[in-house]
Amino acid sequence: MRVGVEPFLMLAAVLFSLGLYGALSKKATVQLLMSLELMSIAVNINLVALSRFVTPQTMEGLFFAIFTMVVSAAEIGLGLGLVLAIYRQARTSEVTNLTELKG
Amino acid sequence: MDWLVAIPALPVVAFVALVFMPRAVRNKALWLPVGAISISTVLSIVAFFQMHPAEEGVTEALWNRSWALATINGKAFELGLQYDAIAAILLVVVTVVATCVQVYSLGYMHRDEREGWYFAVLSLFTAAMLALVLADNLLLLFVAWELMGLCSYLLIGFWYELEAPRKASQKAFLTTRVGDMGLMFALVVIFQQCGTWELAEVLGSVHTWTPPVAMAAAIGLLFGAMGKSAQVPLHVWLPDAMAGPTPASALIHAATMVAAGVYLLTRMLPVLEAAPPVLFATLVIGAITGLVGGLLAAVQHDVKKVLAYSTISQLGLMFMAIGSASVVATLFHLVTHAFFKSLLFLGAGVIIHSARTQDMREMGGLRKHMPVTWATFAIGSLALAGVIPFSGFFSKDEIIASLMHAHQTWAVGVVLAVSMLTAFYMTRLYFRVFEGPEQTEGIHDGHKSMLFPMVVLAAITCVIGFASPSFAGFLGEHGEWPSVQLIALSTTVAALGIGTGWWFYGRPWIVVNTAVYKERSAWLYNALKQKLYFDIAYDAIFIKPFMRVADFLWGFDSRVVDGAVNGTARGFVLFASASQLFDKNVIDGIVNGIASLSKNVGSGLRSLQTGRIQSYQRFILAAVVLLMLFLVVKGA
Repeated sequence: MRVGVEPFLMLAAVLFSLGLYGALSKKATVQLLMSLELMSIAVNINLVALSRFVTPQTMEGLFFAIFTMVVSAAEIGLGLGLVLAIYRQARTSEVTNLTELKG
Repeated sequence: MDWLVAIPALPVVAFVALVFMPRAVRNKALWLPVGAISISTVLSIVAFFQMHPAEEGVTEALWNRSWALATINGKAFELGLQYDAIAAILLVVVTVVATCVQVYSLGYMHRDEREGWYFAVLSLFTAAMLALVLADNLLLLFVAWELMGLCSYLLIGFWYELEAPRKASQKAFLTTRVGDMGLMFALVVIFQQCGTWELAEVLGSVHTWTPPVAMAAAIGLLFGAMGKSAQVPLHVWLPDAMAGPTPASALIHAATMVAAGVYLLTRMLPVLEAAPPVLFATLVIGAITGLVGGLLAAVQHDVKKVLAYSTISQLGLMFMAIGSASVVATLFHLVTHAFFKSLLFLGAGVIIHSARTQDMREMGGLRKHMPVTWATFAIGSLALAGVIPFSGFFSKDEIIASLMHAHQTWAVGVVLAVSMLTAFYMTRLYFRVFEGPEQTEGIHDGHKSMLFPMVVLAAITCVIGFASPSFAGFLGEHGEWPSVQLIALSTTVAALGIGTGWWFYGRPWIVVNTAVYKERSAWLYNALKQKLYFDIAYDAIFIKPFMRVADFLWGFDSRVVDGAVNGTARGFVLFASASQLFDKNVIDGIVNGIASLSKNVGSGLRSLQTGRIQSYQRFILAAVVLLMLFLVVKGA
C-alpha cells in the first residue's frame, strides 16, 4: 500500500495545532519553548513530505528541513539561556508574570 | 556795488548766529547784533554819499543785482535787490534808528532773562525792513513784509508770561494779516496782468493796464498798507502793541513795520495814480486816521499810548501825502517822523523805567531829575508838534504844500486840525510828565548807553528839517522852502494847540479841574475813552461770532468726529472680543479636541499593550486567521 501525502500533512497539522495551543496557553516558559519546537517540527514534516511527494527530483525541502532543525537547535539554546537569565532576575519563569513591557 | 548786499545780510547773520547759541552764551554775545547793525549803518551812509550827486530820477536804480532761483515755463524766476534814491534814504533812516534802538536796548534790557533772543529778533526785524526797502521784486518784498509781521509778533509778545503782551501780539499779528490778504490779492492781480513781479517791469507797464485791473491792484495794495501802517479801521493793533518792550515799540513805530506800508504805497504810487478813486480813498482814510489818532491821543493817560495814537495820527498824515501823489512829502514826513518818534519812545522808556509807572497822572516834575531826557524829549515833542525850526515843522509844511498843489483844500484843513491836536496832546504830555508837583521819589536819569542814542536822535531831529529842499532834489524833484504865509499859518496852529494845552495843564498858579470839561462834553469824551468803539465793535462783529463758530465746531468735533473715532474703536473692541471667543472656542477647541482625541485613543490602545507575550500571540493568530479567511474568500 502506498501512503499519500495527506497523512503526513494531517500529522503535521495536528502537531502544529498542539504546539500552537501550548504556546498560547502554557504558563511555564519551558513548556512554551517546547510548544514552539512542536510547531517547527510540524513545519519540518510538511517540508520533507511536500519535498518527497511534490518535487522528488530536487531536494530543496530537505535542505530547508536541515536548516530549520539547525536554527531551532540554536533557538532552543538561546531560549533556555534567556529563561535562566529571566529566572535569575525575577525569581520566576512564568510568562504570565513577565509584564515589564505593559503599556 | 555788490557790497550793498551786506547791509541786510549782516543783521541776518547776527540773527542766525544768535539763534544757534545756547541762552547763556547768547546773552553775553550782544556785541554781535550791535556790531552787525553798526557796520550796516556805516555801509548805508557810504552808499548814500555815493548816490548823493546822482542825476537820476526816482525810478532809475543805481545798482541792481538779481539771482535766478528757478526756471518756470522757460522763464527765469529771479529775486534781487536794487538801490535807488528811495532805498538810499530809507536805508540810512532804518539803520540809524535801528542802531540807536539797539544801543539803547543794551541799557534798557540789561539783565533780562532772554536779552539775547530780544536782540536776535531785533536784528531780524531790521534785516527784514532793509530787505523790503532793497527788494526789486514784489515777491521778495512780500517775504520781508511777512517776516516783519512775525518779528513784530515776537517783540510785542516778548514778555509772553504776562496776559496783556500775549493778547496784544496775537491782535497785532491777526489784524495785520487781514491787511496782508489785500496785499496778496494785489500780488495775484499784478502777476496775472504782467506775468512778473519785477518792480521795474510792473511799474513800467502800469499805463497799459485797464482801469478795472489797476483798480483791483490799487485796492489790494492800499488794504495791505492800511494793515501794516495802522490806518483806520485796521489801527487797533498799534496801541495794544505798547505791551512790548519800549525800544521795540520805538523800532516798530519809527523805522520798521508801520513805515513798510507807507513805503509800499510810495513805491507803487503809479498803480494808485492809475486808479484815481483809490488815490482819493487813500487821502480820505489818511484824513480819518489822522483825526481819530489825534483825538484818541488827547484822552490817553498812558504815556506810551499817547505816543502810539500819535503815531497813528502821523501815519494818517503820510497817507494824506500819498493821496496827494507826492513821494517827496510822504517820504520826508516818514523820515522826520522816524527820528523824532523813536526819540520820543526812547525818552518814554527812560521815564517809565525811572518812574515805575506808565500813567502820566502819577508823574510830575521830572524835569529837574532827568535833564538829558527832558531836553531830548522836549525837542522831540516840539518836532512832533510842528514848531519851527524842528524837523516835524518842515515835513508837515511839505504835506500841506503838496495837498494845496493837488487842490484838496479840505484836506489842508484836516492837516491843520491834526497839527493842532498834536500840539495839544504833546503839550499835555509834556506838562503832566515834566512840570507840576513831584509825585514820586528816587527819580534819576537813564544810563549813558540809553541817553547817548537819544542825544544822537535829538541832534538829527534838530537839523534834518533844513534838508527839506535838497531832499526833494535828491528824489529828482524841485524843492523849495515853505512860503512865509505857510510858516505863519502852521506856526499859528501849533501855537493855538500848545496854548490850549498850556491853559489846561501848564499854568502853574492854577490847577484846572478837567472833570468839568469832561462832563460838559461827556458824549465825546466817553466815545473817545472807549476808543471810538472800534474794539467793542470788532469784538461783537468778528470775535464773538468767531468764538461761537469755534464753539460749534468744537461741539461738532467732540460729538461727531470724536464719536466716530470712539465708535470705530468700540467696534474694533467688539470685533476683537468676538474674534477672541472664536479663537478660544473654535480654534483652541479644534486643537485641544485633537489632543484629547489622540490622548483618549492612546489610553484606549494602551490597554491592548498588556506586556504579556501570549496575548500578542493571540492577536497574531487572529490576524493570520483573518488574513487566510480573506485570501480564501477572495480566492473563491
